Amino acid sequence: MGGSVASVARRRPIEVDFALVGHQESWRAAADVLAVLRGPEHAPLPDDEIKDILPWIPPRAVCHVDVGSIEGVKARGVYIDSFIPPDRLEAAHVHQNIARVRGAAACAIKAGAKIVSLGGFSSILIEGNFDQLPETRDTVFTTGNSLTVGFIVQGVKKMCALGGRNILRSTLLIVGATGDVGSGCARVLAPIVSRVLLNARNIGRLRILAAELEASGAQVEVATDLQQLSVEADLVICAASLASPSLLLARIAPEAIVCDAGYPRNLSPDAEMRGAKVFFGGLGQITGGLRFAPEFCGVLNRHPFPDVVHGCLLEGMALALEDRFEPFSQGRGFITPQRVAEIEAIAARHGIYLAPLTTPMASGRRSCVSEGMVERISYKGSSR
Amino acid sequence: MEPLIGLTSPAVECTSLSCCAPIWLDILAQAVTGELLAAMNYTSLSEICDDPEEVADAFEHAAGERGHAAAFAAEGRKIGVEVTNNVEAKHWKRLREAFLRCIAERDFIGCLIVQEIMLESFAVASYGRVGKVAPGSLGKTFARIAAEEEEHVDHAMAILRAERALDAQRFDDKVYRLHLDVMTTLAKMLAKECKDGHCEVCHGNCVKPSLSEVSLSTAELRGASLQQYLKTLDILGLPGEVTLKWVAQLPV
Repeated sequence: MGGSVASVARRRPIEVDFALVGHQESWRAAADVLAVLRGPEHAPLPDDEIKDILPWIPPRAVCHVDVGSIEGVKARGVYIDSFIPPDRLEAAHVHQNIARVRGAAACAIKAGAKIVSLGGFSSILIEGNFDQLPETRDTVFTTGNSLTVGFIVQGVKKMCALGGRNILRSTLLIVGATGDVGSGCARVLAPIVSRVLLNARNIGRLRILAAELEASGAQVEVATDLQQLSVEADLVICAASLASPSLLLARIAPEAIVCDAGYPRNLSPDAEMRGAKVFFGGLGQITGGLRFAPEFCGVLNRHPFPDVVHGCLLEGMALALEDRFEPFSQGRGFITPQRVAEIEAIAARHGIYLAPLTTPMASGRRSCVSEGMVERISYKGSSR
Repeated sequence: MEPLIGLTSPAVECTSLSCCAPIWLDILAQAVTGELLAAMNYTSLSEICDDPEEVADAFEHAAGERGHAAAFAAEGRKIGVEVTNNVEAKHWKRLREAFLRCIAERDFIGCLIVQEIMLESFAVASYGRVGKVAPGSLGKTFARIAAEEEEHVDHAMAILRAERALDAQRFDDKVYRLHLDVMTTLAKMLAKECKDGHCEVCHGNCVKPSLSEVSLSTAELRGASLQQYLKTLDILGLPGEVTLKWVAQLPV
């Protein structure tokens, strides 16, 4: 009791450079957050109680975040959870979810954040709902998608290099191609790969993107039906906005490299991809130091390696370290190779690099993609 | 269970709500008990107020809460039940004792925090939820009283914000001490199961498992109440990450 009283009593207003707005992608992750909040002296909440309680928690700050640069610069921030229930990410709940993200944005403004990264689903607020943003003069918002694209592309290139694959001869399939991240990846990789296959739900948007890429000399095919495209793909980026890991990539080239860049993850644990090499993409690692107060390390950033965070959140941190408080990524479909290169350079200057690549395991855990060889994933079917 | 405080309200004819009357009876019994306890709290508050205007306010609020209790009792009569109350029931008694400790210390601000921030958050949110699902005049009465209780809170908020502005550290410490006492009791009342035995307000078995028959649930009532509480603390200016931790640590 005394400790908690003191924690309030001694708290003074702290200047906040950045805010990270996020949500949990699974009930397990939400349970872990609540367990930290309850503290070791209280028994963890049963799963049914967590599902009852979480939807009622209003968006709010959960912890402070200190990030350091290899150049010696430090930035202070706050993590704000919108507390969107992990099972309510689908379109049916979009209005409630936008209201939650708006509430989280208001918390960031109230905290005095100069820049706000809207992670995962939260980016919907500035990808097409600008009018939903709370009014502010001193706080800017970024989706963080440019750096996410940067780390996805870096991961794809690294996987190709590790596997001795010539990316120039690859056929790239992008699932969720018309989204901000998907279209950004398409613009960066189309000039490099041999052929691009674009999949999304909206044929009109697919054609517009295809025309743009073809104008730059890329060979492009589009389809709303994934089955029409996937058979020849030996390089796949999954960047669809899915409410849960439900994507089944049954027909892809043997030994294909598959990057799951979704949040929540795209690929269903039941996906049968014989011989495919799957890795989680879009993640970066902070080498200049990352600290949560209270301690949420490994809870808010669930990764086997230390100080690994999603690119979308890292973008806000990198810009804060750079003292560049500007809405770097906003809207949908504006990510260009030049902007990706620019944010990658900023991140690298402060020691934020591509995270060690990991593959999903059948057990739900992750294993590292080791240097020198690409491990076979343990997805169903891969070991048959 | 005999009512400890008599209520007078005109008897009105029954309605079709009578099919779920035993459930509404228990819901109304909790509401009437809460309102009468609030009336007692405001009467006690009047005894430590120095300012005549505050004394008058306290009496006015007490009268208002008694009026709410009478209105709920009248709704009971409309569906053919005589709504009882029990301000001596264990949870309600604990809440009253917490308030009386503030009275004993002549802690006017503590009294406002217990009554207006904690108990009224519970009342505003739970009445609001009941108001949405209860049919006819029963629903309207719950909704109307929820709105009136919210007005109380607005009045108190101005006083409490001014108090916090004087010394935020001291104020937040006080809220936390009262939270441990009062909100722990409220959380137990709103838990899915009454782990401490019968609540001494429900007639017969606990009403909680039956709430779904009237489109309610303890999870919803608890969630809405705690959400209202957190939002009220936000408006007062307490740090959201700290109050979240307080609420996360409440019993379930």
